[in-house]
Amino acid sequence: MTSVLNPLNVVARINRDVERSLLRARNGVRYATTKANVGATPRDVVWRRDRAELWRYRSATPIRYQPPVVIVHSLVSRSYILDLRPGSSAVEFLLGRGHDVYMLDWGVADERDAENTLATYVDEYLPRAVAAARRESDADEVTLAGYCLGGTFASLYSAGPDAPVRNLILMASPVDYSAMGAMIAAVREGRLNPDELVDESGNVPADALYSGFFMLAPTKQVAQYATLLENLWNDEFVEGYQAMSQWSRDHVPFPGAALREVVEELVRRNALMTGRVRVGARTVDLGDVRANVLNAFADKDNVVPPEAAEPATTVIGRPERREELRLPGGHVTFATGRVAFNHTLPALSDWIVAHSTELDPPKER
Amino acid sequence: MAQDQATWLRVVQRAERAVGSHVETFVKSDIYFDLLAQTTRAHRRLLQATETLSREWLHAWNLPASSDVRRLREQLSRVERTLAEVAKEVADRAEDGVPPKPEEPQ
Repeated sequence: MTSVLNPLNVVARINRDVERSLLRARNGVRYATTKANVGATPRDVVWRRDRAELWRYRSATPIRYQPPVVIVHSLVSRSYILDLRPGSSAVEFLLGRGHDVYMLDWGVADERDAENTLATYVDEYLPRAVAAARRESDADEVTLAGYCLGGTFASLYSAGPDAPVRNLILMASPVDYSAMGAMIAAVREGRLNPDELVDESGNVPADALYSGFFMLAPTKQVAQYATLLENLWNDEFVEGYQAMSQWSRDHVPFPGAALREVVEELVRRNALMTGRVRVGARTVDLGDVRANVLNAFADKDNVVPPEAAEPATTVIGRPERREELRLPGGHVTFATGRVAFNHTLPALSDWIVAHSTELDPPKER
Repeated sequence: MAQDQATWLRVVQRAERAVGSHVETFVKSDIYFDLLAQTTRAHRRLLQATETLSREWLHAWNLPASSDVRRLREQLSRVERTLAEVAKEVADRAEDGVPPKPEEPQ
């Protein structure tokens, strides 16, 4: 009590509060007037088709492991979540561990992509992107790491007879759509019709997708803004918050034909759970995946709940090659936050290392 | 001061949870999704009705309406898609080392 009333302590606290108020004002202006520095890791475009691109990341750290890691992003959100900002980037972390990292980014769908189906992604883009990665890295195989719906695409591709995939990592990838929550249930039961979500471009607009995610926890933003206000003096906090809030509002349109197929095949028929999925004219058997499979999902994921992701461990690949990694955190535990860098990413990297070949000597990039 | 701020933040967070948990229960309910579907349909119908009215009026003055622009954009997209398919076929053939088909004599 005496220490609180000590004039020196009072002066120190007043000083600190004045200083923080000034920092709050400065950071507040910065927050309102600038955009976050996202997706900043240097990269080269090594393959391109329509809006899809394959990026190879540059780093000063030599490549210590082969095959290269090709990240397959989801169709719904921006891929920079996995390269959020310098010092807090999953891509940067993997590069630092000596992995050769690629990102398959689907771009921003427009009218020209409205007729894209699952086959467009699985049979047209993925094989070509993987071939480009192998060519660039001079590798026979790849490690495919699919995030969210990207994991579904990666699984369907890996089940092909000649897929050069040594390792398949599923990150928060939904398999059991009956456990995906109320919105998917409404779509499954026909109360929400996919055609009603599609706009004149033939795609589901980004705003509609944002609304869908926002409505998972509509009042959460109030607490988030209050936390921001409290920590507005802290540069590091503000940078992280700005990058994350930018990403959470930054969705991309979802191609209409792909949506109809996802709804019919994956949601209504729950085909991934049966292990057999129709892609174009063929039926893919997920048991045909010959790669080592790691099914990684998060305990508190409210986008892809653990109950929806966990069955991948019993459906995809050969039983003796399947492993499961249950992680703390939510849907972005693969990308950002203390848990990501202390737990998730080291665990993923260790698994990749254990299933890769160490290069001796390491290869310069 | 800092302690006061932490207290106000805790109060806001508790209040948000108290209200938020009920809101989250509601937005996961059948009633919400039925309402959402009905609102979406009503919004579409309203847009269509407005569009029909404005189109008739604009066409009376020989002016293009947004639906005309949309139709044009759809046609353009179809042409672009066809062109892209042809371009991809040529690129794939070149990549596979297959020579392009010789041109038919006119």
